This record gives sequence, C-alpha cells and structure tokens, in this order.
Amino acid sequence: MEGRADYVVKRTLFALLTVFVAVTINFLLFRALPGDAVSGLRCQHCTIQFKAALRHDLGLDKSKWEQYKIYLKQLAHGNLGLSDVSHEPVRGLLWDPLKNTLLMLTLGTVFSIIFGLLTGVVAAWRRGTWVDKGSLWTSLAFYSMPTQWLGLMIVYFVADRIGLPHGGIQSPDLGILGNPSTYDYWKDRLEHMILPALTLGLVLYGEYTLIVRSAMLETLGEDYVLTARAKGLSNFAIVRKHGLRNAMLPIVTLIALSLGFIVGGAITVEYVFDYPGIGLAIVDAIDKRDYTFLQGAFLLLTISVILFNFLADLLYFKLDPRVTT
Amino acid sequence: MTIDHPLPAAPEQLEELSAEGLGERRTPGFIRSAILTQPAALVGLAVLFFFVFIAIFGSYLEPYSIHDKTGPVYAPPSSAHWLGTDDGGVDMLSLLIAGTRVSMEVGFAAALVAMLIGGAVGVISGFVGGIIDVVLMRITDIFLVIPDIPLMIVMAAIFGRSLKNIIIIIGIIYWTSTARLIRAQVKSVRERVYVKRARSLGATNNRLVFKHVLPQVAPLLIANTVLMVALAVFAETYITFLGLGDPSAISWGRLIENAFLGNAVLNNAWWAIVPPGVCVTIVILACTMVGQSMEDALNPRLKVGHLSVRRFRLRPLGGKLDSE
Amino acid sequence: MSREPILSVEDLHVWFDLSGGSELHAVQGVSFDLRPGERMGLVGESGCGKTTTILAMMGLLPSSASVAGSVSLDGENIMARGEDTVSPHRWKDIAMVFQGAMNAFNPVKTIGSQIVEPMELHGTATGKAARGQTRELLELVGISGDRVNNYPHEFSGGMRQRAAIALALACEPRVLLADEPTTALDVMVQAQILELLVRLTRDLGLSMILVTHDLPVVAQVCDRAAVMYAGEIVEMGAMSSIYHDPRHPYTRMLFGATPDLLGDADVISIPGAPPRLDREIVGCPFAPRCDSAFAPCATVAPRRLETSPGHEAVCHLNDHVVAKEPA
Repeated sequence: MEGRADYVVKRTLFALLTVFVAVTINFLLFRALPGDAVSGLRCQHCTIQFKAALRHDLGLDKSKWEQYKIYLKQLAHGNLGLSDVSHEPVRGLLWDPLKNTLLMLTLGTVFSIIFGLLTGVVAAWRRGTWVDKGSLWTSLAFYSMPTQWLGLMIVYFVADRIGLPHGGIQSPDLGILGNPSTYDYWKDRLEHMILPALTLGLVLYGEYTLIVRSAMLETLGEDYVLTARAKGLSNFAIVRKHGLRNAMLPIVTLIALSLGFIVGGAITVEYVFDYPGIGLAIVDAIDKRDYTFLQGAFLLLTISVILFNFLADLLYFKLDPRVTT
Repeated sequence: MTIDHPLPAAPEQLEELSAEGLGERRTPGFIRSAILTQPAALVGLAVLFFFVFIAIFGSYLEPYSIHDKTGPVYAPPSSAHWLGTDDGGVDMLSLLIAGTRVSMEVGFAAALVAMLIGGAVGVISGFVGGIIDVVLMRITDIFLVIPDIPLMIVMAAIFGRSLKNIIIIIGIIYWTSTARLIRAQVKSVRERVYVKRARSLGATNNRLVFKHVLPQVAPLLIANTVLMVALAVFAETYITFLGLGDPSAISWGRLIENAFLGNAVLNNAWWAIVPPGVCVTIVILACTMVGQSMEDALNPRLKVGHLSVRRFRLRPLGGKLDSE
Repeated sequence: MSREPILSVEDLHVWFDLSGGSELHAVQGVSFDLRPGERMGLVGESGCGKTTTILAMMGLLPSSASVAGSVSLDGENIMARGEDTVSPHRWKDIAMVFQGAMNAFNPVKTIGSQIVEPMELHGTATGKAARGQTRELLELVGISGDRVNNYPHEFSGGMRQRAAIALALACEPRVLLADEPTTALDVMVQAQILELLVRLTRDLGLSMILVTHDLPVVAQVCDRAAVMYAGEIVEMGAMSSIYHDPRHPYTRMLFGATPDLLGDADVISIPGAPPRLDREIVGCPFAPRCDSAFAPCATVAPRRLETSPGHEAVCHLNDHVVAKEPA
C-alpha cells in the first residue's frame, strides 16, 4: 500500500526537519549571548593578539552565516565544542551523565507507564465507582505537584523511613573494604536510583493515569464495544481485546508528547537528589555559565526527544491500519 | 470536567442531546451556565478567586515584612508566626502571600502571551487556510516536539533573570497547543451555515473574523488560557528552582528553592517545604478543574459507556407502575 | 401462524435513571410474539423506545437502566436473572445487526478476525474451520471471500453493512435483530441490503425483527408490523391488514410521511414532537399531534382493542367500531 509507505517517509522527513530547526534555534540562541566563546577566557597568555588568533581559528571573525555553516559542519562530525570551564570536549563530558540519566529515567518511566495503564484502565472500567474517583483525584494531585517539591517531600517524609539513600549515586563506604562485587555495585546503584525515579514516576503516573482513563472511556463508548458485548465477550475480554488495543492509539501519541516534560522533570529531580545525570550537569553548567556545555546538553536532550517522538510515530503506524498520511 | 460526567444513559435521548450542541451558534450565556452547573468548576473557580484576591490585596495581609528577620531561624509554627520562619528568620506566611502575588502574575501574564500568539496563529491558520495554514501548522508541530522545559531553561539562562523575561519565555513556548486547538475550532466555525451566509452577503474577512469567528472560539480560548495559567505557574517554579528566577522577586518557586538551598530538610523545617508546594498544587488543580470543565462543556463527548461493572437492574412489576 | 412463538416479549418495561434522581420510562409495557421464520417490523420515530426494546431483549442496556417484564425464548424466560440468564443466548440464539454498522467493527482489527471471534467464543467453530466458515459467510452476503483480511476502513458503507450481517450470522442464530440496518446508506444500497435480509431469513429459516423509522420499508420486507409511540406499541398486526386498514392515526400518518431524501436522518414529517417520557402522560400520548383527536383523547388513556383477528390498536377511534379486548 503506497499511502502507508508515504507515511513513514513523511514522518522521517518531519523528524529530520525538526532536528534541523532545533539545531538552528540552538545556534541562534547562543549567538544572542553577549561576547563570545573567547571573550570570557581568562589566563596569563590570553593577550588581545592571542584572542584574535583564537577567534580566527574558531571562525568567530567570520559572518554569522559562515559561522552557522561551520557550526553545522562541526555538528555533522559530532563535535559539540569545548567546555567553557574545563576546556574538555563537551561530547565526552555528556556521556557519563547521559548513561546515569537514561537508567533513572527508564526506571521511572516504566514504573509510571505500567501503573498508569493499570489504574487508568481499571478507573475507566469502574467509572463512577469509588475506585475511579479515588484514583482520579490521586492522579490529578500528583499531576499538579511540582516535581522538585514532590522530591523534597519524599526526601523529608519518606527517604529515612524506608531507609533509602537520597543523595548521590554511590554510597561513600562502597568499596572501602576492597573492590565491591558486581552485585553489590549494582544494588547500591539501584538503591540510589529508586527515589529520584519514584519522584519522577509519581508525577508521570498521575499524568498517564489521566491519559489512559480518558482514552479508555472514549473507546468504551464506541459502537464496536457494544458489538463485542452483544457477541457475548466477557468484560475482561472486551477490555483486553478491544478497549486497550484501541485506546493505545491516543496513549502512544500523548506519552510521546509528554517526553519533553519527562526530560524537564529529570533535570529538577536530579538536582534535588544530587544524582549525577544530565540534569545535574545542566544545573552545574548554568551555575558556572558554561554555555557551550549547555548548548550541547540542550541539543542532546532535544534530539533524543525528537527521536522518541519519531519512534512513537512508527509505533502508531504499526498499531493503526488506517494511517495513510 | 473529565472527572466524571454522570450520564443519563438513554441511547436515543443522548443522540439528540449531542446533536443540539453541534453546528449551532453559541449564546453568550453558554459558558456561564456550563460552569455554574458543574460543581468541580465552581470549586475551582472559587479557589482561583481566592488566590487572585490574595495576590491583589496581599500587601495588606502580610503580617510581617518579608525583608526583615522577625523571628528566630527556622522557628516552628506558633501563634506569632503561623507558618513558622525560614532560614533567615523571615515569616513564612508573609513570604507565602508575597509569593502568591508573583506566581499569579507570572501565571496569568504568561498565559495571556501564549493565548495571544496561539490564538492569532490558530485564527489565521484556520481562517485563511491554504499554504499559510500548512506552513503555520508545520511550525507549530515542530515546536510541539521540541522539549519545552529544556528550551525554557536555556532561554532563561541566556536572556537573564527578570520576571518580564520569564513571562515572555513561558508565553512564547506554550502557544503551540492553543494554536492547534483554535485552528480546528476556527475551521469548523468557518464551514457553518451562518458564516457562509454572511460571506455570500459580502462580509469582509475582518468582519467575519471579529463578528462571527472570534465570538465563537472565544469560550474555548478562555478555557485553554485557564489551563495555560496552570502550566505557566508550574514552569515558573521550574525555572526559579534552577536558579534562573528573578533574584528580587519572591515567588512560590523561589520559596521551594529557598527550602532546598536553605537545608530545610536537615533542619526538620517541614513548614518551610510544605506550604509553597501545596499552594502550587492547589492552584494547578483549580485551573485544571475550571479549564477542563469548560472544554468538556464546549466539546461534549457525550458517550454512553458500553461497559461497566454494574449491570442493568431487574425490577419486579406491579402496583408501582402508575406512579412512575 | 399457528406455530408456537420462538420469542415472546411480555409486558416489557425499561426505565433510565436521569441525573437529579428522576426517571425516564422509555419502554412502557411492550408485548409481542415472534414466530419461527417470521419477519416483524418495529416502527416509530427517534426516541420512541424501539432500539431500547431490542437492546433490552439482548440484555445490552447500560447500568443506568432497570428492566421489568419477561423475554421468553422457546418458553424460557431469559430475563429471569438479568445478565446471567441473557448472556448465554447472546449471538448464539439471538444476534444483532447494529444501527450504523460503520462503527460496529473495531477499526484496528480485520473483518475476518471479528467474525471468527464469536465462533471461537461460543465454540461453534475454531481455527481453520472458523476461517473457512467466515469466507463462506462473506460470500453468502455478497462479499468476495478473499477480503477476510481487510480492515473495516477498506470496505464501503454497503459492504460494511453486509459484513455486519455476516457477523450476525456467525453462530447460526435463530433470531436476528436488525436495528436500522439501512440508515446512512444510499437508496440503491438500501434496497440491496433489504433484499439480502429477506433472502437470508427465507433461506436460513431465521426470524427477524427489523427496527426502523421507515414504515414503507417494513411494508416491503415484513409479514407483521408493530408501531411504537412514546414507549408503547400503539398498533400491531399483519402487514397487509395494517397497510390496507390502519387503525391508529399515527400509523396512517407514518405511511404518508416521506422520510428524508438522503435516508439518513431519523426525521418523519409529522408536525409536533413526541411527549417527554420522564413525566406522566395524561390521556392519549399522541393526542397533541393527532389530526383526528376528539373529546376523550386529552384526558382518558385509550384501551388496547382488537379490531380484527390479530390486529390490535390503542386509539379512541376504535372504541365505537369494536369493543373487544385482545385475548
């Protein structure tokens, strides 16, 4: 079917266009800064002559248009520039925090999707009962809480009570008595990940429950659900075979759109829990005015979100046979 | 609101109900009656009015100065300081009231900016159509995908820490969903009979937009703006928490930041942590309740749930029939 | 017509809870019999309770509904314990062709899999046999068997309606309830679908209840008709008898009324609107719209009278013609 193939091509082009726009915004925004990468340098041999030479080397004396082309070329080679603070390549500096963030985000997101789906489906199914009302208000409340505040609340009221660490990524005493075993290492890692992931997960849980519930309600009102009931299917079978399958369509779209929010939440959560991921690195860069790093991190986050949106588009394509354009 | 529509579920009657609202011109009283008949919307509206009142008259209500030490550091709540004091010995209740003013200001102003941009893009796109529509919607789609909070953070880091900047940044990032919503609405209004009739009678585009289209999309735009207030209040707490807020302004986000940086946790000062977050949560809940109720009333998705745990009931016959 | 009825509805009532604690009495004591092989039309305007009646017979009403009366299949009251006693008969004995079959199919599943579903559920056929039967069923309703793996959106409106009929026949039911099966189809396709229904009921020995707002259609297709107004059957009898000698002004006006040209709106050009069913009705419910109303109509509820054998009507006009209550 040609229309179907068109869809994939169109979505791919759109994703590429979005990446291009994001890159351009990134370039323009950081050009709006007073001064440039060189004017902030402070060192003994940083004479005016040296700076001018450096500017020439970096292409900063060229027109904006030339600079833009240089920037694109550098990006194409995966070069994100040197950190304004440590003068190391930003790409390398991003790698470790990215791994930490990905692990924590995955944990939190998987938690929220599983529980959000469960409660959302049950709430829609038992619409109007106390189960529905209870889960609805709970999720609305979580959805309305600022992530960083929920994090603080968890640190204050929960962390010590259940004996989980709420700062850093590794216990200071780990490895004091020789190398920790792989098991001990990862157990420690996981323990440090749980609370930040839980914080993020709870806020997302609220959002996802609301999304799933309303998508399910919409679906359960469709005529084919009545047909399924007339055919004699049990309630459970209807929810599983007809309800969930169709409700997945809006759910996939909306979860993809919430990715920007997830990333934003991750930044503050990492700050609260002192968890060394991209978010903490960004806060640090803001503090030290390391704009080159900030630029690289923003680009990384943006491109990841665009990528996941693209994947969601493909998933939608697979789920819905009607998609043609 | 989405919370619940307890439906009188007679299938045939419902069809007639929902058919009524579609394609018809909305009377001005519609939105008022939509809100007044929904308890969730009323409660939300009351809460919003309360906070707006505090925001306007707050300076008369603050028991202490927010710039001076008026008690010991991290004093627990007492009759002198109802919500205790913060890490600088400043009265928390006064800070909270002052924070209401700034947070509400940012929320409403940024929502207004988003409404103006999104409304304009939506109306132009939906009304003009054609290539302009395609281009505007592509742009909207692109900005819908670019993660908003990181973009805000970067912009705030670059453009400097002032309240005005924060308002503009939030506003110019949150217009996308408004634009999409309004465009769809404008498109459907444009196709309605009375608009077509007005057009065939020679009404100019300006006249059509201001006389026919805008009044019809206004309720939806307002509902969307109320939801936007919630998002803006939320975004302000994020930006401020990361140290990018206006250094001279006390907002709820700033109070959360203070509690964090001032080690309220280590000092066991829950009164410095809990209140600002509760305020943000309540305002966002209230906005969601009002905005959602309005949207639901405007776009009724009256549908019978075909599946429920409860089944239809059997009723014995006899005697009682005549009174039914 | 002397055979025992296969399906017998007796004094069926349906109420819906309305917000604010009031109730809507949607079906107010409907009784009729359906004999094997018989095609009966259930006719009336939108909101008269005809769809509610057949949904009640299948136990498909929402939780806001309460039901009274009995629905007997082969003499067994399947309404006796509500959902529990109805559900075993769904689709196996009584199947349904839904109003607006456009949406009766799940858009993300193939037509074939949706027809196989009830077969496997009720154990009438499984696996390969079920798929084979599905192809046969599609051929039977005039769709190429090669299209089993198509999705609903790949079918035209008429084809989808045919597929919906095939779906209803999946478990070889004995009673077919067809709810406005031709709404939203163009006139040519409407005629084809009706013809198909007649052929199928004749060839397979099915009994059918055809629910529609279009009395002329019923006249073409059915042996018997029941006209509903405001939740009640106001006239019922053999088609020929009703056609030649309608005993209720509403029936007469229904014959005269021309349905909407597009055939999709449930609009009948009889002036006025049906009464609200959430309050008590005094006198004859049709009186305000009736062109032959006279003194007692506004105050006294008319009785159900048999005007000729097997033909009954609820109208004061019959009070003086005959005075015999139906057995």
